[in-house]
Amino acid sequence: MHAVLLAETSEEYLCGSAETLLAGMVRLGRKCIPVGCVNGGCGVCKVAIVKGSVRKCGLMSRVHVSEEEESHGVLLACRATPMSEIELKVIGKMKKIIW
Amino acid sequence: MGVMRIGHISIKVMDMAEALKHYQNVIGMKVTHTDAGGNVYLKCWDEWDKYSVILTPSNQAGFNHVAYKVTDDFALVRLAQKVRDYGIEVEELPAGTLPDCGRMVKFNMPSGHEMRLFAEKDILGTDVGSTNPDPWPDDMRGAGAHWLDHCLLVCEMDPERGVNTLVDNKHFFIKALNFFETEQVVVGPNGSIQIACFLSHSSKPHDIAFVAGPTSGLHHLSFFLDSWHDILKAADVMAKNRTRIDVAPTRHGITRGETIYFFDPSGNRNETFAGLGYQAQRDKPLITWTEDQVGRAIFYHTGSLVESFTTVYT
Repeated sequence: MHAVLLAETSEEYLCGSAETLLAGMVRLGRKCIPVGCVNGGCGVCKVAIVKGSVRKCGLMSRVHVSEEEESHGVLLACRATPMSEIELKVIGKMKKIIW
Repeated sequence: MGVMRIGHISIKVMDMAEALKHYQNVIGMKVTHTDAGGNVYLKCWDEWDKYSVILTPSNQAGFNHVAYKVTDDFALVRLAQKVRDYGIEVEELPAGTLPDCGRMVKFNMPSGHEMRLFAEKDILGTDVGSTNPDPWPDDMRGAGAHWLDHCLLVCEMDPERGVNTLVDNKHFFIKALNFFETEQVVVGPNGSIQIACFLSHSSKPHDIAFVAGPTSGLHHLSFFLDSWHDILKAADVMAKNRTRIDVAPTRHGITRGETIYFFDPSGNRNETFAGLGYQAQRDKPLITWTEDQVGRAIFYHTGSLVESFTTVYT
């Protein structure tokens, strides 16, 4: 298990290296990263990795994460597993759409 | 004579192999065609036309177009003219533009969503046939969805700029395409802002629906199931397949539909929907849901909104 620290709010949780950053958080019932489709399509769980290394798993919508962003450690938390202790910043947000 | 039903929806998927697993093993559709461009065409067991869902390979998720089937070529000609008369440009697509589909007319809804109408598509028949049919086929998979039922589109709204393409779409669908409104959600002073609209062209509570959002997009495509028990079984199928469920089995106030919301492997939201609620008729008084009861309109039991449901779409 690796510690995942949210830089801005100092929240922290433990995430396995076989689960995604988002799945590890959801499993614990935590809510520090917005949760949407959990399949790389909707973009609400967009994060920037500040410290540590992750492994990418699965495809991310290019509408939400460009290749340029990805090369700078920006990705969707539902599409990356932690390889070490991680510090990240939440970029994605729930844009209130309907109500 | 005019529009009959949703004929098909075309959506983008990022990983075709994963998408096919989902639409076959979870929804229970069958692949009926794959074209040279890698687009895959599927149908449900209770549908007779060759396909109702088109999956197109892409680097993103989301909506391509939705097509409604009309009664005959005469209706197609007449509706194309009505769309033009409404002031919307129409493009004629010759037969074969989509495989096994007759000629189509193509235009954009006021919300920007691409829509097509067609009168003919190759008929494969339902999986139980049309002669002394059994009630269900033996090789049903997953949720065993009967048919693609409707879609819900997010339509751009910006009250500050006076933009509400949901209302523009409503007027267009009623005036040009002869749909009728069954239910609405209104908010703001004296309920002056409409944020959801349910339209029918049949006896179902909705054949298409619109909600307002900051940008236009796809909220969900919905598949029909028979009963509440089928909804429970569909949720079991999703759990077995580790499908991401957005909203677990519940009931809507709007349409009285029994429902589950979930995401395909690219993040496009799907619904399995049971219970036709009531018989929609053109002279039935319009049902209105007010801002103070909007929670129950959407999720009748809890009366509270689910954040991802009202904020996430492709």
